[in-house]
Amino acid sequence: MYQGIAASEGIGIGKAVLLVEPDLDFSGAVFAGTDAEKSRLSAAVAEFTQKTSALAETMKARVGERQAEILTGQVMMISDPFMTGQMNEAIDSGQCAEAAVDAVCGLYIGMFSAMEDELMRQRASDVEDLKNRLLAILLGRTAVDLGSVPPGSVLVARDFTPSMTAGIVRENVAAIVTEVGGFTSHSAILARTMELPAVLSVPHITTLLQEGGSVVVDGGEGTVLPDPDAAVLAEYERRRLALAEEKAALAELRGKPTLTADGVKVDLYCNIGGPGDVNAALEATAEGVGLFRTEFLFMDRAALPTEEEQFQVYRDVAARLEGREAVIRTLDVGGDKDIPYLGLEKEENPFLGFRAVRYCLERTDVFRAQLRALLRASAFGRVKIMLPLITCVDELRSARALLEELKRELDGEGVPYDRDVKLGVMIETPAAALIADLLAREADFFSIGTNDLIQYTMAVDRGNARVAYLYSPLNPAVLRSIRAVIRSGAEAGIPVGMCGEAAADPLLIPLLLSFGLDEFSVGAASVLATRRRISRWSKADADALAAQALVLSTEAEVRALLKERIMGGL
Amino acid sequence: MVSEKLTVINKAGFHMRPAGIFVQAMGKYKSDITIVYNGREIDGKSIMNVMAACMKQGAEIEIRCSGEDEEAMLAEAAGMVKSGLGEE
Repeated sequence: MYQGIAASEGIGIGKAVLLVEPDLDFSGAVFAGTDAEKSRLSAAVAEFTQKTSALAETMKARVGERQAEILTGQVMMISDPFMTGQMNEAIDSGQCAEAAVDAVCGLYIGMFSAMEDELMRQRASDVEDLKNRLLAILLGRTAVDLGSVPPGSVLVARDFTPSMTAGIVRENVAAIVTEVGGFTSHSAILARTMELPAVLSVPHITTLLQEGGSVVVDGGEGTVLPDPDAAVLAEYERRRLALAEEKAALAELRGKPTLTADGVKVDLYCNIGGPGDVNAALEATAEGVGLFRTEFLFMDRAALPTEEEQFQVYRDVAARLEGREAVIRTLDVGGDKDIPYLGLEKEENPFLGFRAVRYCLERTDVFRAQLRALLRASAFGRVKIMLPLITCVDELRSARALLEELKRELDGEGVPYDRDVKLGVMIETPAAALIADLLAREADFFSIGTNDLIQYTMAVDRGNARVAYLYSPLNPAVLRSIRAVIRSGAEAGIPVGMCGEAAADPLLIPLLLSFGLDEFSVGAASVLATRRRISRWSKADADALAAQALVLSTEAEVRALLKERIMGGL
Repeated sequence: MVSEKLTVINKAGFHMRPAGIFVQAMGKYKSDITIVYNGREIDGKSIMNVMAACMKQGAEIEIRCSGEDEEAMLAEAAGMVKSGLGEE
């Protein structure tokens, strides 16, 4: 068994097809005269352009616009008059077309690979791909044709270039395996988009596997198993089918309402980190956005974003959700995030310091711009405003007062906004959980942020391996806290959501349903699985399990009970 | 020759897509275009040179156009940079 990087989930079983890159040695090429070499070059460039444009079209249809962009980019590169000019100059100095292509492309490969910017460094592999294919055309050697592999092929190559992947016919390929490339490489992204099992960076795999040999690829574990015996093969075949069934079952839930087993509707939302995540949320058929983190607007730049700039982003997100709710969290920064222009000092205890709503209430210039932008965006969709790290009622009151002041300001300017825009608080500190009843009188909604609530309740840094064992939502202290918050919200008649990772946790979901959580907000990848987990519980079953779990004394006891009932019973 | 000083505002600067759109638009003009950045002169019709210059968000650049349609060329080039090269 060989181990590599698990780049794209799924199990692929098939016959190895070893892709050998064409021999591009041009040391035998003879200089045929300046004019002849130049016309060979321009013919090769024309052929390259025509072929690559055609590949890009295929790619656009098969995989998507974004993946095709790499190929259209290569067409733009080869159409650069400056670069082809350099190649012609090299021919003028007595080099053959192959040497000219090699030298000029080599120059740019060197230039791009030396860059600090990751995005720009990737261009080096584009130029490399362009160079190799141009050389193959000049030398009359055909590049590997992936369009003609038989069904059930496991493609094995040193690396997959953009032009190679464009030729892949999904139906005929069981999996892909490479010797280089990481989780974010072009091959990995493409494999995940095409839902092809993939294991990358397996050392020497092109020489370890035999052409036509039987092979099993587990893209979830990152393993490649050659020549499996009948028993092993049967086991993998069983797992492959189970995975496929699981996937089909989840696909069934696409676009369906989120209902408990006894037909109670709960809201299933998505967490997003920027406008770029809206598509994934909609694709996963989330019913709204339960947490939009706005920090990205403030990071990687030299000055504060303007009100106008923020407004455009919030409006864009609100509008694209087409009537679904968008819970937008105000700036959540602190001394642990490096945003130099905010003037935050390094602190001894950044997690207990000048951060989030504390910062915003002091730097009202920053806060006003954000709140005005949010109010203005509320005219274009269902915007809800959420305050992070609330620990006392005063903070909510100050923010509310500022919001009311800004509403009057907008009235004066005749700018439209939603008069009924909701202002809620994130419950992520023990202080907020303990005064949830007081906060509920004045807040329009709650959202429990489990990541921080666990950290502050258990006084544990989950990044610290020595104490990370304490970081669990199943600790009785955390469970009681969550239950009390949901109860306070229900008593005051305001909705309570949860926007941490815990909302998708199969062990926690029945307890949350029993407590009466109204809204579950999870990552896009977990939406369908969460919908299914919720669908398995009736109120009565969840209540019975919660009653048993909440009298237990330790995290381990709670976990053991839930595991037995949930994993064992299903 | 006409010229204008500008700041690159879009997040990723002149990476592949914006650079491609830019040089394609400039290719329509007869005039020459030079971008001066960090003391270097870059041919504004060459995507390879534009990308290789690595002009990112916040980069202070000067665009110089010279030729028979220099005014129109500069206006379009400056407009593209100011509007964020078609990106956020």
